[in-house]
Order: sequence, then C-alpha cells, then structure tokens
Amino acid sequence: MIKKKVCLLGAFAVGKTSLVQQYVHSIFSDKYHTTVGVNIEKTQIQIQDTAVDIILWDLHGEDEFQHVRLSYLKGSSGCIYVVDGTRKMTLATALNLKQIAENTIGEIPFLIIINKIDLKDQWEIDQSTINEIRKKGIQIIETSAKTGDRVEYAFEILTKKMLEK
Amino acid sequence: MSPKASNDTSIDALKDLLIKSEKEQIQKIQTRLDDPMIRATELSSFLPEAISLSILNNNKIPQVIAPIINETIKASVRDNPKIMADAIFPALGPGIRKAISSIIMGMVQSLNQVLNHSFSIQGMKWRFEAFRTGKQFGEVVLLHTLVYKVEQIFLIHRESGIVLDHVVAKDTIIQDPDLVSGMLTAIQDFVNDSFQMTTQDELETLRIGSDTSVWIEKGEHACIAAVIRGTPPLDLRTQYKKLIEEIHIKSGASLENFDGDPFHFAIFREQLNQGLQSKEKKQEKKTSPLIWCIGIVLLSAIGFWAVHYYQTQKVWHSYIDRLEAHPGLIILSAQKKDGHHKIVGLKDPLEIDPATLIKSTDKDRIKLISHWRPFYSLEPDFVLQRASNILNPPPTTKLTLVDTLIIAQGEASDNWINSFLKSAKTIAGIEDIDIKKLRNIDKQNLKTSLKQLSNLKLYFKNNSTQLIENQKNSLTQISELFNDIQKLKTLLNDPVKIIITGHTDSSGTEKQNLKLSHKRAQLILNNLIQEGIDPSFLSFYGIGTKTPLKKEIKVNDRKYNRAVSFKSSYTISTKGRKI
Repeated sequence: MIKKKVCLLGAFAVGKTSLVQQYVHSIFSDKYHTTVGVNIEKTQIQIQDTAVDIILWDLHGEDEFQHVRLSYLKGSSGCIYVVDGTRKMTLATALNLKQIAENTIGEIPFLIIINKIDLKDQWEIDQSTINEIRKKGIQIIETSAKTGDRVEYAFEILTKKMLEK
Repeated sequence: MSPKASNDTSIDALKDLLIKSEKEQIQKIQTRLDDPMIRATELSSFLPEAISLSILNNNKIPQVIAPIINETIKASVRDNPKIMADAIFPALGPGIRKAISSIIMGMVQSLNQVLNHSFSIQGMKWRFEAFRTGKQFGEVVLLHTLVYKVEQIFLIHRESGIVLDHVVAKDTIIQDPDLVSGMLTAIQDFVNDSFQMTTQDELETLRIGSDTSVWIEKGEHACIAAVIRGTPPLDLRTQYKKLIEEIHIKSGASLENFDGDPFHFAIFREQLNQGLQSKEKKQEKKTSPLIWCIGIVLLSAIGFWAVHYYQTQKVWHSYIDRLEAHPGLIILSAQKKDGHHKIVGLKDPLEIDPATLIKSTDKDRIKLISHWRPFYSLEPDFVLQRASNILNPPPTTKLTLVDTLIIAQGEASDNWINSFLKSAKTIAGIEDIDIKKLRNIDKQNLKTSLKQLSNLKLYFKNNSTQLIENQKNSLTQISELFNDIQKLKTLLNDPVKIIITGHTDSSGTEKQNLKLSHKRAQLILNNLIQEGIDPSFLSFYGIGTKTPLKKEIKVNDRKYNRAVSFKSSYTISTKGRKI
C-alpha cells in the first residue's frame, strides 16, 4: 500500500471541500479549516494493481484575510489547484499559489481543476485562456463538484503522475 | 653584440612570437603560486566544495580535523573560557532547561503522590514495603501509583505526516490512523508556525483532559507519537527516544527519500509493540460497611434458609417414612408445591389418623395438605382386625387368619356362631371359614342342664302325692333347670322333649301304684306349668313300680322309688347337628 500526501489548494469558495466530499473519508469537522487551516481527508485510488491511499490535505481557501500555511505543503507528493470557473480571479490565485508552492517545496506533480462545469454558461474563464495555460504543459481538468463529474478522473490522473515520478 | 647574444635575442623574439600568450599565463601562474594572498583567496573559494567532495569520497576530513579542533577548543578555553561559554550558551541553555524541567516535573509528580499517600493506611503499607525491600519510599510510591496504558503508537514521517506504522493496544477504539497522523502533523506545524517555535522547542506533549496525553518524540525525519492514558513513567519517553534514534540509524536513507511506501518500516513493528506498555492498578475497592452489613444479612438469611430447608426436608422425609411404615396407608403422591407439602394417598379406615404421625412441633415447619381416600387393605392384620370389629367375637373366641381362611377357636354362643357363619365371608379378604375348633356354648349348657336334670329326683311321702320334707330346694333347683332348658331349647330351636316320670314303691296294688305315680308326675308337671314352663315340650307318665329307680332289697330302699324322675328325649333332629 502506497500512501501519498496531496494538497488541495485554491482561492476561497472555489469548492475544494465540495469537490472531494462525495467520496472521501473524514473524521474531522469543517471547523478545522478555520481554526488550524486544514482538514485531513483520505481516499483510495486504484491504479492497475496498485492501491494508493491519498491523504488529502484540504487547505483553507486563500483569501485576502488568510494565507495558506506553507508548512502544510511539506512532504506533499502532489498538488491540486482548484479554480472556480465562474470567477476569473480564482485562476490567478491558483497560479499564484502554484508558484508559491513550487518555491516552497519544489516542483511536484500537480494539476489544475476548474470547477463548476455545471455552470459553464456563467464561466468568466474562456477557452482561449485555458488553452494558453495548457500550452505551457499544465494539465487542466474541468469538473463539477455538484454532479461529481470527472472528479475521480482528476484524482486518478494526479495519482498516475505521482506514481510515474 | 656577439653572435650568441644575437641568437638569444632572436630566440626570445621567436618565443615571443610563438608562445607569447602561454608565457604570460605561466608568468601569471608563477605569480599566483608565489603570492600567498592570491593562493589563500583562491583556496577559500573552493575549500567548501573540496571538503564536501572529500567527505563524500573517503570521509577523512573529520579524522584529520578532529585533533586540530580539539586542540583549538582546548587552547581557546584555556586562553579565554568566556568565548566558549558564550558560544555554547544558546545551545546549552535550552538543553539544560529541558533536562531540569523534566526532572522537576517528575519530582513534582512524585511529591504529589507521596503527599497523597503518606498518611493513609496505604501509605503505611508502602512504608513497610520500602523498609522490607530496602527501596526508597518515593520509589515504592511511584511503583504503585504509576497507572497508565499506552493505547496507540504512531510512527510518522515528519514532513508528509504519513503514517509509516501504527500499533494499537488491545481493546482500544481508534480512528483512521492516517487522518489522525495527518492532523497531528498539521497541528504541530500550526503550533510551530503560530508561536514561532525554534527546533528545540517543538511540541512534545499534547495533553487531553487530565488523563490522556500524546507524547511526541522526534527524530530528524520521523517521529513517534504515543497516545497514553494515565501517568506514565518518564523513562518511557527515554525508551521512545532510543527507538526513534534506532529507526533513523537503521532506516535513515529510507526516511529521507520516503516515496510513500511504508513497507520498509514494518521491521520496527515489534519494537513499536514493545512500546505499548501498560501498568494496571490493582482494584482495591473499599467495601462500604453497608455492603458488609447487606452481605452478612444475606449470608445469614441464606444460612437460616438452608438450615430451615434442611430441617424441613428432614421432617418431611421422616414423615413420609413413618407413613410408609403403616400398611394401611398407601402414598400415591408426595410433593412440594407452592410452598406447601401435599400428600395424596389411600387410607384403610382401621389405620391410625396419619396426622398423628407428625409431631405437633413439626406441624408448623411443613405446611401440610393431605388428601386421604378410604380403601380396604388386604393385609392379614387389617383383614383380621376388620373381621373382629364386624363379628365382635366373645372373649372366649379367638379368630386367626391363614391366607383367606378365618379360623374361629374356643367357645361361642349359638347366636354368635350363626352370625359368624353368615357374615364372615362378606368381609373383604375372607373367603373360607373354619369352626372345627369352636364349641357352641349354648348347646353345651343345654346338655349339662339336661344331664343335671336327669340326676335329680323328687321324693314323695308314702302313698301320697305330697313331697317329703326337705324337697323344696330340689323343687326350686329343678324349676330353675327347666327354665334354663326351656330358654336354651328356644334359643337353639332344639327339639328336645322332657319326660316327667312318676314312680311308686312296690307296696300296694299295681293299679293303685300306676294311678299314684301318674298323679305324682302330673303334680310336678302342673307345678312346672305354674312356674311358666312351656308344657309343649313336656310329657308325663306314671309307671308305677315298673322300672324302679332302686331295687328294693330292704324296706328302707322303698323310699327311693316314691319319686318323680326326669329324662330327655329327641324325636327329630332339625339341623342334623349333634352336640
């Protein structure tokens, strides 16, 4: 059994917690987000013959009042940056967080999730922007926390990346 | 200018032409080699890398430098101890502080326990134990009071918070160790960030309530977190410290390059399990006096009940035994039900009342309900007793029983014998009768009376129907005999008749004598009739001198023939039985 620490980062209210709520195991209440700044959850992903326990560090959303505690990033094997498709600013926050994380712990496997695909008609992020980022070799997966669409797929992609590293 | 000098100049010129630049470089190198300052400057720039390479390759540097450093430190301390003191103070201070605080904490803990236990009975016991074993009192107190249980031990990769291994004591309820470990790591990071802790001051203990604590013993890459209930001894922490050091020594590289696979750390499972120590306090609950009282009362009640039960059973069984000893009682069922002792059985009417077989003092002990139904026992004693009761034999008659044959012996009245013959076979258990040895007393009496009567005579005066003197008694006696005979005859329905015969002496004529004898017999007959004797069984004759009562040899013999005699006679025997 392989265990990997994965940090879930993103701006405030992008739906990080909702994203994983459907299929993770958690024993702590949400109040840890506001008190300690993180909630730990766990899920298991099966990649071929390998079962991987993903220990998810769901970090408090980055906003103007509270910053991500960088010490929580230590020892991560992968990162997921979550963006709210309906708020363009959250993409900038995610990219900024990515930069901060890489400065802190170096380059590790990651992917960007643009959430709220179910509200795509309200998206502020246009396809050309997404394509621009993809051109830089950054993998972006569009998901819906509400319907669960492609959430598990996103985790599988990240897990494969971590195992390949 | 000589040709040689000219040659040298031209060679130099040629050299300059050919190797001018190399020459200048050689010159520069020469200058660098000759100038110590330049060499020192250059050496300083690559010395760190050189040392690093040396360490990587053969690690000789420490060996080479160590003596120099030792000497340097000695010289430095000798020359100016303050410099060294200043230098090591930042490191020494926290170390000493930590050690002292640990000792003080332990002392305070011990002191509390000693104070708590010094003046109690328990304390006295422990003082005695200390005296007996030669240990210090405090040590004995600690030994008895450190009650704790290490419930879980996490081996955690410090950087990622991932659980490398996790052991749990038996009967411990746990949460997902990965999540707990992650949050524990996050909290440590949070504390360190929030309070800007230095590496020496990292979180060592989490205390939850007054009973539970989490001891964190850190190594460079991994830490041990032990969840402990109660008050553990401080040397347990030393044990964890040694373990984490050992883990780093053996698996330092795996920890440093941890790839998420905790498999490599399973080798420490046994040692982690050894860390799951516990010490349980003996349960010495003080028993409340009330509990003692209740216990004594309960025991007494049980004892009383047991004795009562035993005695009741004894009385009951002995009563049953007594009942069974009586053949006239048959127990159909004997059982205890609803607090009562119930007996159902059969009782011969001749048997004694079963209630009399139980002592009056025992009656209260068993609540007895008896249902006895009557029956006739065919036991010989009961058959005989029943026969005696029904037949009521006279004292002169003895009844015996052989199987179903009843034998009557002795004497009995005719009435009783008739009754016996009629009734005996109707009695349960009697089928045959034997009266061979039973005499009929009435018939016997009749026979005796008749015999007495035949021996009696009434004597008359000469040639007269007057009785001689002194015959009154004989007359009375005869009258009484007749009365008896008449009664017995009637009783026995006996056909006996009595003939009254008149006699005369030989004097006088035959005709006169016949007449006189006839009168004499009639006289007595009349007399008897007057006395109430039934004349129907009487007859009288005068036979004169025929058949004299005594042969008249002398004159004096005549008086014996002037008489009336009596004799009995049977004409028909109605029952065919002879006496």
